[in-house]
Amino acid sequence: MKKISHAWQKYLQQGFINKKYWQDFRENAQAASVELQEIKEYKDAIPIIEKIIAETGAQQLGAVGEDDNKNLLMVYTALQKQHKLYTDKFAIVKNAPQLDIGFSTAEFGVGETGSVCVDNYAYEARLISMLPPINIVFMDKNNIVNTMTDAFAVLEDVFTEGYTGFVTGPSRTSDIERVLTLGVHGPSRFILFAVENAG
Amino acid sequence: MIEMQSRNIKNEINEKIHDEILRSNLANFAQQYPLARAKAYANVDSIDELRDELKNMKQYAVNHIEQLADEFESSLEKRGAKVLRAKDGNELKEQLLKICRENNVHNIVKSKSMATEEIKLNDYLQEKGLHIKETDLGEWMLSVAGQHPSHMVMPAIHLNRNQCAHFFSDELKEDIPEDIPYMVQTARRVLRKEFLQADMGISGANFGIAENGAIGLVTNEGNARIVTTIPPIHVIIIGYEKLIPKISDASKIMRLLPRNGTGQRMVSYLTMIDGPTPVIREKDGKMVEENKKLYAILLDNGRLQAAHDPVMKEVYQCVRCASCLNVCPIWSTVGGNVYGHIYSGGIGAILTGLLNGMDEFAQFSDLCIGCRKCTTVCPGEINIPDLIQELRNRRVTQKGLSTPEKIIFQRIMTNRKIFHSLLRAAALGQKPVKSGKFIRNLPLFFAKMTDGRSLPTIASTPFRDRAETLLQQGPKQAKMRIAFFSGCNLDFVFPETGESVVKVLHDVGAEVVYPQQQTCCGKPIIGAGDLATARKLAKQNIEALETAEADYIIVACPTCGETLEKSYQELLADDVVWFKRAQNIAAKIREFSSFIDEMYKKENRMAVVHGSQKITYHDSCHMKRGLGIYKQPRELLNAAGNYDFVEMTNADECCGMAGSFGMKYADLSVQLMDKKLDGIEATGAQTVAVACPSCMIQIGGGLDKKAPQIKVKHIADILAENIVNND
Ligand code: SF4
Ligand code: SF4
Repeated sequence: MKKISHAWQKYLQQGFINKKYWQDFRENAQAASVELQEIKEYKDAIPIIEKIIAETGAQQLGAVGEDDNKNLLMVYTALQKQHKLYTDKFAIVKNAPQLDIGFSTAEFGVGETGSVCVDNYAYEARLISMLPPINIVFMDKNNIVNTMTDAFAVLEDVFTEGYTGFVTGPSRTSDIERVLTLGVHGPSRFILFAVENAG
Repeated sequence: MIEMQSRNIKNEINEKIHDEILRSNLANFAQQYPLARAKAYANVDSIDELRDELKNMKQYAVNHIEQLADEFESSLEKRGAKVLRAKDGNELKEQLLKICRENNVHNIVKSKSMATEEIKLNDYLQEKGLHIKETDLGEWMLSVAGQHPSHMVMPAIHLNRNQCAHFFSDELKEDIPEDIPYMVQTARRVLRKEFLQADMGISGANFGIAENGAIGLVTNEGNARIVTTIPPIHVIIIGYEKLIPKISDASKIMRLLPRNGTGQRMVSYLTMIDGPTPVIREKDGKMVEENKKLYAILLDNGRLQAAHDPVMKEVYQCVRCASCLNVCPIWSTVGGNVYGHIYSGGIGAILTGLLNGMDEFAQFSDLCIGCRKCTTVCPGEINIPDLIQELRNRRVTQKGLSTPEKIIFQRIMTNRKIFHSLLRAAALGQKPVKSGKFIRNLPLFFAKMTDGRSLPTIASTPFRDRAETLLQQGPKQAKMRIAFFSGCNLDFVFPETGESVVKVLHDVGAEVVYPQQQTCCGKPIIGAGDLATARKLAKQNIEALETAEADYIIVACPTCGETLEKSYQELLADDVVWFKRAQNIAAKIREFSSFIDEMYKKENRMAVVHGSQKITYHDSCHMKRGLGIYKQPRELLNAAGNYDFVEMTNADECCGMAGSFGMKYADLSVQLMDKKLDGIEATGAQTVAVACPSCMIQIGGGLDKKAPQIKVKHIADILAENIVNND
């Protein structure tokens, strides 16, 4: 998959990430309606996802990010046994308007705001995270930076072209009577798997 | 140039004041916003440090604007985008239409862009037969309803769910219930179709980064992400003021904008796009991946001129968070639609003046009462009321004053004798002038008040005639010599308060003198933009005060204080000799309550007491945000013998008087006053103390009609009472 960088980890490890920012991240993410799932291993996500699929009656799934992540590939492969899950970019695009759940990845989180940084250079990654009503995202739990200032210091090194940004919870609007409503154009549910042994 | 219909702002305001939906939406929001903002900032060490950083970064940007524009352009072109520059709306429209024609575009989706609203792009494209849809929910509803946004961040805050459902139903030709989640889902469904069939996406930009050519888009709905993803062509329309030097500078905006704008630590989506990105489409039955066509158009439309304007370039510090509206007493009462067609509130008046022309600005330029609330929250630290004043001044230089203003300012106000004999005549009930316009330009007490307020009366014996006998009662062995500058209000409306001031000063061991040649400080004239006349008054007053040879000059009116201390030096900055004289005077100016606070502390007279009568305190805008004085009056009240001090809510919200505004927009002024009266009544206090005679007129006039059992008193009167009691 096309990314603005395949070496995020290298830049993050220049003193930006630290486990101690996790508490802040968790608090702020939850305040922003992120559904946070803390898991040890990637495989721990499978039963939780199965449950979500069962509860929502999701039929068609699309997923990106497995090409440089063996563990993720394993998760997707496991899901494919029972469900229709597209990982080919053309298949994703073709079926995007009908997808019920999109699976994608995030590079790191920001303690100050509960945001996650997403590398969305690939077209299919953008569709997956925006069109389906549910977006499930995988992130290395250890990759948390302190502030937005630090987050942009990382981008200063990484961002030379393409499409990136920060996602903080689901799509929302307060345009009618300032009543908060989730899921206007993007997903109404933003589920984040923070994987402890991601490395 | 945008065509301008002649508007009747006063009628529009009255309509808004009586729009119950608007009123309750705004009132709720005004109450919730400060709390939400504070909560969002709770995990930040110093807001002011962040504001300074943002301001410095943006100041650098405006000082290097051409350089940044060139860099932004070459960064983007290097990456394969096409960059155009448009000197105004017409040029931009032609460029865009050409792009549409060349690429066979018919369907366009758009994410929010104020620059395009400024030049009314949608109307133009529709006229040219293109199908264009706004995708931000609020903007979409307004476009369906044929209305303009009333707020930069919450465009549809003036509407309620019933009205929204009505617009939905009309547009979709189906019956849409007044159910918010249902409406939102309907919008999702309808706009999703538009996204999928769009040939082109048009976006604005919250920032454009020169070093790599990336733009940033801030949304909660995520529509900007889809607009910039699905269509094979993306056009960015970006104003010069959005350019910033480096990637890391974006964080300086992002740490403030969401917190200030919507009370969020971060918005749902910050999207950053740098150069053409891939798009996958079905072409001739086959899926193909190719790069999008990316265009960026840099819009000038008055921006570059502003960038080179030594004063107005401050507007580049604006990040369009709209928090200045959220705290503005005027915006919170009438909403945004009475301002320009896109930018509302104080900053809106300025932007409209710079981008859409001064004629439009002049129509609502006086909807700023100079309360300075906005300056306490603006992330870019913009001095909004000062910039508005600067534009007013320029307007007067350009167009001159209206005839009544000219007569009043230039013939009457500059001649103290005529001015004061007019005032005396007014005291005898010989109303010298009846025309509303005429009266409005005189100092406050000439005002004909509306139903909600009682008329202030002009005292039969002004302070200046009482001074001589009074001043002889001073201490035998004076510790200091004080000149008292009364200002018109304490001289002609509240001479008893003037007497209290003297009494309190005598009591701290001061000899007091009253230079009889002093006249109006000139504030109303400065406000109207007639600086030449104001300069004459400044010189008269400086001369008068110099003759007193005093250690201190005391003012008990914060507006006069601000004018004498700050404005005179600005007015006389070009004249070395007079500037120096103004500076010497300024160095001696002391505001009464803060001065007495200092004296009482020295004399150990500040023990907190709880008397039998409840008293509360109203902060004058000029006192709190102009002079920075708000603790001292409270300390004095806490120590005042008969009283028990209680705070009111929103003590520092403007009472609505604010010079000529209080008369020109009388009904609106009464609205602001009523909010204030509610706050006062809620405390259960029998007395409200003020330190400003203008507030005393406004609040006193209101209380007289609505709650006559509550008295308004100048803090000098309260301290003077205490002296009697101590005897
Ligand atoms: S100074 Fe007061 S009235 Fe003027 S724009 Fe700012 S908040 Fe509004
Ligand atoms: S002037 Fe300041 S407060 Fe107002 S919109 Fe601009 S940045 Fe925000």
